[in-house]
Amino acid sequence: MIKQVIMEAVGNLLAARQRSILALIGIMVGAGAVIAMLNVGTIAREETLRQFRQMGTDILLLRVESPQGLGDLPLAQAEALPATLPAVLGIAPFMIGGGNASFEGNSRNAGYLGVTESFASLARLRMARGRFISRHDRFEPFIVLGADLAANLSTPYATVRPGSSVRVGRYVFTVIGILESALASPMLPTDVNEAMFFSLPNARRIMSVPNLSWAVARIAPSADAEAAGQAISAILQSSLGTQTLQVQSARSLIAGMESQMQLFTLLLGAVGSIALVLGGVGVMNIMLVSIQERRREIGVRLAIGARRSDIRTLFLAEAAALSVVGGACGIVLGVAGAWFFAWLSGWSYVFSPSAVPLGAGVSIIVGLFFGFYPAVMASRLDPIVALRAE
Amino acid sequence: MLELRDIVKSYKVGPTSTVVLDGLNLAVGKSEVVSIMGGSGSGKSTLMNIIGLLDRPTAGTYRIDGEDVLAARPDAASSMRNRLIGFVFQSFFLLPRLNSWRNVALPLMYRGTPEAEARQRARAMLDRVGLSERMEHMPEQLSGGQRQRVAIARALVGRPSVLLADEPTGALDPTVSQEIMNLFLEVNTEFGVLVLIITHDPKIAIQCPRRVVLGGGGIAQDSARVAVHA
Repeated sequence: MIKQVIMEAVGNLLAARQRSILALIGIMVGAGAVIAMLNVGTIAREETLRQFRQMGTDILLLRVESPQGLGDLPLAQAEALPATLPAVLGIAPFMIGGGNASFEGNSRNAGYLGVTESFASLARLRMARGRFISRHDRFEPFIVLGADLAANLSTPYATVRPGSSVRVGRYVFTVIGILESALASPMLPTDVNEAMFFSLPNARRIMSVPNLSWAVARIAPSADAEAAGQAISAILQSSLGTQTLQVQSARSLIAGMESQMQLFTLLLGAVGSIALVLGGVGVMNIMLVSIQERRREIGVRLAIGARRSDIRTLFLAEAAALSVVGGACGIVLGVAGAWFFAWLSGWSYVFSPSAVPLGAGVSIIVGLFFGFYPAVMASRLDPIVALRAE
Repeated sequence: MLELRDIVKSYKVGPTSTVVLDGLNLAVGKSEVVSIMGGSGSGKSTLMNIIGLLDRPTAGTYRIDGEDVLAARPDAASSMRNRLIGFVFQSFFLLPRLNSWRNVALPLMYRGTPEAEARQRARAMLDRVGLSERMEHMPEQLSGGQRQRVAIARALVGRPSVLLADEPTGALDPTVSQEIMNLFLEVNTEFGVLVLIITHDPKIAIQCPRRVVLGGGGIAQDSARVAVHA
């Protein structure tokens, strides 16, 4: 009987091919939109988390502010923190500036980072060639270059390599190391790939505002980021005077981004749902037309012994067949759409396993929901009236 | 066998109501062939709908094989139609997307008969009406006479007590009409099914052993009662 019902439903849909295809497209686009939206949401969330893969999530970013602007962090007290606070595994104060760098007449804009030697390990930077700034370098005219900056400064005739001389302002520095390319991290105020690294004493000579206003700290994985931040503030506060310390943790940043993502996904899901409802209205529309056209058939069926439920099942099966096939096409369309979106945005595609059953399930529910009213209407037809219909 | 007593049917149209049947009495015995004639407005269609359990009279009783069939709710009426009545329509009303045997098997499917058995019984009935070569044909591939034979096979496949034919030859030429009429007479003797033929065609009516004419809200003439009136 079930086989018979499905066969008849498919047969009837094939008989009204054009109309069925239109309804199918409606459902397909609706389901595809829901699936694509949910999948894009997953991709975006994955992309956000990927940004923290470089530095990890046990990172705090400290910034000192004075009433005049950026403040100055007391270096000795900051570097003593790991010894007094067990939650802090390491800390690297740094200063930020920017300006020109030129190599063999090739001039580029670069970020200047004045750092201590622990910066590389805290920010998880790896050397492609040479070594990083060490605490013994002090006033030695040594610099380390980010990967992109090194590539951009190189000319077709001369490649920047350890030992190359790079002019910065009135000074000439010797390159002692080049970094591997690193993922951009929202925890650093500057892009390390486009930066050049100086020892702190050199940085004070180069930069227009030689303030040690920033620091990255790594906390123990078990430590509470909030509490660690407060403990650091408490210890440093005495030597900061009127300056204030802002602490931002990777975890709270992630939490904020995630709630933003959730909103984003919800919004996209809502857009998809609207498309799906429109698809459902399409199903309802063609079912109503089809019932109008097949009134005599319904009359005949009722005359030869079909119960109301048989008629209802007949039309519900058609709506179900439409939404199942439409949902299946929608899965393909949705996944392809999400893939295309990821490709356009330069993000890596991540398959969202929950989007497919969710989208398909929702499309079937919508199809049945919008098929139900026409089916009930058909089953309520008076056989006499239906038989007289032309 | 089929017994209508004091049947009243009135339709309300706005504030006024029109009485179509007013105290109609009709009893038809098993294995009779009865023609029902009557001018338009005489209540032929109304009577047919009532006999066919598609409509309910305003008042009166209706029994088939002693069973009160008016007590049934819509779904029970469906199953009674399926069991007791076979319909044959003027324009055949075959389902266009089902082939011959599937059309014939339809009443059995609604009865829950397994497909294999339904198929076998449908084929046997198509064989009986002379269409053993047309089992897989679609309705549009058949002539009018052939379609009506399929429809008759569909009406008979469930072994009903009553075969109710509404202008069954109205869309057919005289030769084919005669063939269909012969088929009615044959299946009447063969299956012992009561045949009611509503018709305009005197040539069809004259071949029925019993002829009824409707008029004035009831039976105006009944060949079975001529002797009584005379």
